[in-house]
Amino acid sequence: MKNYFKRGEPMVLVSGATLAVILFMTLTLMAVILGNSLGYFWVKGLVRLQLTDGSLVMGQLTDTERHALTDAKRQQLKVGNRDLYAQDFRWVDEAEISGRDIPEDAYLLERREHGNFFGFLKELKDINGAPVAADHASLLKLHREVLTQKEDLAPIKSEMSRLNQASERLRLKILKLEYHDAEANSATIARLSEQREQLTVAFDQLLEQLNQRQSVINQASAVFSDANGTTKELALQELVRIYQPNRMSVVAKAGAYLVKIKELLLDDPRESNTEGGLFPAIFGTVMMVLLMSVFSLPFGVIAAIYLREYAKEGKLVQLVRIAVNNLAGVPSIVYGVFGLGFFVYGIGGSLDKLFFPERLPTPVFGTGGILWASLTLALLTVPVVIVATEESLASIPKGIREGSLALGATKFQTLTRVLLPMATPGIMTGLVLSMARAVGEVAPLMMVGVVKLAPTLPFDGQFPFFHMDRKFMHLGFHIFDVGFQSPNVEAAKPMVYVTTLLLLLIVIAASSLAIRFRNQMRRKYTSSHF
Amino acid sequence: MPKATVDTSRRNDRLAAWLIKGCGLLVIVAVIGILLLIAKVALPLFFAPSAERLAQAPTEFSDGVSVERAAVSQTRQLDDSGSITVQLVAGNQLAVQRSSVATDILGNEARSEQQYRLSDPLPGPITVFWLGRKGQNLYAGTDNGWLVRWDLSAEGEGRLVDTVEAFKDHRRITALTTLLGDNSLAVGDAQGGVTTWMPVTTPGRGEDKQLTLIHRLPSSNGPVSLLLASPRDKSLAAIDSHGTIRLVHMTTERLLLTLKAAMPVESASFVDRGRQLVVAGADGTQVAWKLSVPHPETSLGTLFGKVWYEGYSKPEYVWQSSAATDDFEPKLSLVPLIFGTFKATLFAMLFAVPLALFGALYTSQFMAPSLKGRIKPAVEIMAAVPSVVVGFLAGLWLAPLLDTHLLGLFLAALLVPSMLLLTIIAWRPLAENTRIGRRLKGYEFLGLLPVVVLGLWLSGQLAPLIEATLFGGDLKQWLYSVLGVRYDQRNSIVIAIALGFAVIPIIFTIAEDALSNVPRNLSAASLALGASRWQTAWRVVLPSALPGVFSAIMIGFGRAVGETMIVLMATGNTPITSWSLFNGLRSLAANIAVEIPEAPLGGTLYRTLFLSAVLLFVLTFIINTAAELLRQRFRKKYGRY
Repeated sequence: MKNYFKRGEPMVLVSGATLAVILFMTLTLMAVILGNSLGYFWVKGLVRLQLTDGSLVMGQLTDTERHALTDAKRQQLKVGNRDLYAQDFRWVDEAEISGRDIPEDAYLLERREHGNFFGFLKELKDINGAPVAADHASLLKLHREVLTQKEDLAPIKSEMSRLNQASERLRLKILKLEYHDAEANSATIARLSEQREQLTVAFDQLLEQLNQRQSVINQASAVFSDANGTTKELALQELVRIYQPNRMSVVAKAGAYLVKIKELLLDDPRESNTEGGLFPAIFGTVMMVLLMSVFSLPFGVIAAIYLREYAKEGKLVQLVRIAVNNLAGVPSIVYGVFGLGFFVYGIGGSLDKLFFPERLPTPVFGTGGILWASLTLALLTVPVVIVATEESLASIPKGIREGSLALGATKFQTLTRVLLPMATPGIMTGLVLSMARAVGEVAPLMMVGVVKLAPTLPFDGQFPFFHMDRKFMHLGFHIFDVGFQSPNVEAAKPMVYVTTLLLLLIVIAASSLAIRFRNQMRRKYTSSHF
Repeated sequence: MPKATVDTSRRNDRLAAWLIKGCGLLVIVAVIGILLLIAKVALPLFFAPSAERLAQAPTEFSDGVSVERAAVSQTRQLDDSGSITVQLVAGNQLAVQRSSVATDILGNEARSEQQYRLSDPLPGPITVFWLGRKGQNLYAGTDNGWLVRWDLSAEGEGRLVDTVEAFKDHRRITALTTLLGDNSLAVGDAQGGVTTWMPVTTPGRGEDKQLTLIHRLPSSNGPVSLLLASPRDKSLAAIDSHGTIRLVHMTTERLLLTLKAAMPVESASFVDRGRQLVVAGADGTQVAWKLSVPHPETSLGTLFGKVWYEGYSKPEYVWQSSAATDDFEPKLSLVPLIFGTFKATLFAMLFAVPLALFGALYTSQFMAPSLKGRIKPAVEIMAAVPSVVVGFLAGLWLAPLLDTHLLGLFLAALLVPSMLLLTIIAWRPLAENTRIGRRLKGYEFLGLLPVVVLGLWLSGQLAPLIEATLFGGDLKQWLYSVLGVRYDQRNSIVIAIALGFAVIPIIFTIAEDALSNVPRNLSAASLALGASRWQTAWRVVLPSALPGVFSAIMIGFGRAVGETMIVLMATGNTPITSWSLFNGLRSLAANIAVEIPEAPLGGTLYRTLFLSAVLLFVLTFIINTAAELLRQRFRKKYGRY
């Protein structure tokens, strides 16, 4: 035994145990995220509980808890109907429950506002406000009809937004003319104002039309009652989806699951981001990362080429290396502060003074936006590109360079025709790793352009298509904002877990890809000797 | 090859070389540029104030606050439509006249007048008195250095609250004023000293607070003849009998400006919301200055030292950047934030370093190579987990979990290691000279993983029983009632685990690289000489890789210091200085994220936040540079790169 300890075998096991702990923590992280997010889209059945005081509670079972001392069990139900009960969740003690059943005809309604509604269908009115038979088939039929009618309004809405934007452009034009020389341009200004006036009139007409048709659609409504019989009239156009979860088969539920995933990826958020889709956040994240790569990739690659191919080892290279490491090690929040002080207020403020003086004090570039966010993150991720590119250049055997030079190629030709093509996997590694880093970075973005809810995407059909000055939404910030700054954190949690899973999947996929590239590169050149 | 082609390609080559060199050096420029630009924003905090003498004194005194030397009576408007007047009358007494207008529902005004004298015996003849701006406190200074304070808030009577021997040498008190907010009293004396006093709770005095000397401000040459408080901030102008005006700030005790009126000053006034100062001599000649005092409330003392703020019972380090009222004294001490940063980092490193280093040692030295190819990428992917994800889980999953399973955690901290130890001892017969034992070499940690899980599960099961029997069913309650320890849900344990989780992969990867890069022949030689695999790893490989390992720890440290999202989400962001494991904290980085959306551009808070960014930059710069130098040395020694 003494020898066993003396030879240090137990210490080997201790170090093995630490690795086990690290792996355990990682697995726990994954398990928690997966466990909390995957179930979110599954349409859970509704349970109706009869309580000892005579009242009824209906909802989805979400949690069971055992009290440590008394061993009494209690169950958590998601009871929904936020507009009626003010709370989404309710704890019920096991002792209070006198009976339970699974009502076949219970409805789960996903609404545009106030979260889900759980209840029973009582009455139904069609578009003319006339009562119709209150059964499931006619409810679905009417709902579909309402949604189609609503769809028909889309052209009006898009025309309205076009008019609105045209009017805004005219306003800015007028503002500019007035700023430069109101007297000299008075004729033009009057003409433009008149145009704008016409647009406004057209807009108002459309608005009138829209409101009229909306109110017609609004007439189609249904009266639902909750478990205790409290009724609530809901306009059908307020309902996103209608389920009878206790009647649904597993296949139907799986179908609903897929529909919801599609909504998550392609739709706009609802209910201050706690429900609906993530499309603007995904789009904003992707666009910011791509824009960032445009800045960071060339700079990073050239800096790496300098370090590996052009610089002579010495004090200067040492300094550059120290600088690269510092760029990588400086806290991201410092980049945020720098971005705010330099890009937003410094460059952005100057641009505004130069090109948009008529709009001041309303800033154009002098406030956070996707351009500044991308530039800030580009600075932050340049070291990742540099290190990866340098490593891949270093792994190319010396003989290849010498061969190329011996054939009479210049250094630059060697670089562009021989080395860079060979180093491409390594450069890709750097690019993907830097993207992964940028996708997950939140702290600096909060200062330079990320918002909770952006009304418009940074890229759309309006000239000049890319709107560099617009603020944008971001998956990482979405997690922080919904998880920590939304009024109803408990109800928002599932959404945050889903966003987290999505973000994590993106990051892990990117990192795995990068690691695969790198291993390929290593394998290719370490096996062959020149 | 045609000569032209060769020339063109040569020219291209030279051009490219220049471009590439320029780009490479741009990295240095970027680092220096970042530092300079954020420092440039922070620097005006320390700029000296300046004043410009105006050719003509302003005639508008609309919102001016003025004092006169010869005033024998002072009047203040009361909040509830009325006024109060105090007059120094013969017999060393103060006469109070209080008139109030009460309006009933019908709009009828009822005017009432009250008059009384404060006839308390005084320690000396009154030289100067000051009625607080809200009309509640009346202060008087005597010929022989005593300060007296009455409370006039009750109707019909004035209550003597304080009689303080302000100066032991019984110097004459020559000027009094209250500073913005009416909480502090500035006292000028015959020897040119200016001090500020504030009522402070003292033991043995019951309800009443006692006037206490708080700040000693830079003194004048001659007797102070007038004190004038600024309507903007906690600064005041002290004017001496020679007509020298010193603008001083109370909180910082800074001498902001010295102005010379070159005549005895009879009255003085701040105009234009405190941006201009006008003084008048006995003959009515006026001198005016335009003041430019950008950030009077900041000094190195307030940023890094203890300061006795208004309303506090002793000097303290406080960060409180804003409050509901305008006359609030900004408290911008960076010490609680620096403390919070280091507390979070320290706890996280205590958690992460042993795990990461031993894990790296195992992976590089003992693990089966086929497995190593899988574990390393797994840890690298762990490094890519965004900090916002870790922070979210720490704040919304781990913190509530710990809240209910606190004892379980402590139990696990005991149980898991002891169970591991038992397993290790039980391992021995298996490990030595059996076929299974040899097979298991390099895979041991997989066998230990279930033990960790089992230990955690067991402590989760046992904790409620122990809590019920020993701690009355609620450990947090027990902590509070028996030990007096307050438990925050988002506390330093959560931070240690979450931040530790974030830095483990960083330390792990760099340390593992360093350990793997130690030439194989070193360890082979050691093993050949009969050393065991642990002895080789611990005495030969680890010492050789020490610079690399150190640099791994330092880079992890640098990352922990600057981590924002995790600290922001997993702590309550309370800027307190307490070493308790059960309290939250606020770090420099999280503070920037919390406060900068509220900080107006160019304001003191904005610049202070930039200053804290500079601090973070400099701190991580030193750490990273040292780490990089160590790593370069290591590379030179063993030759990779």
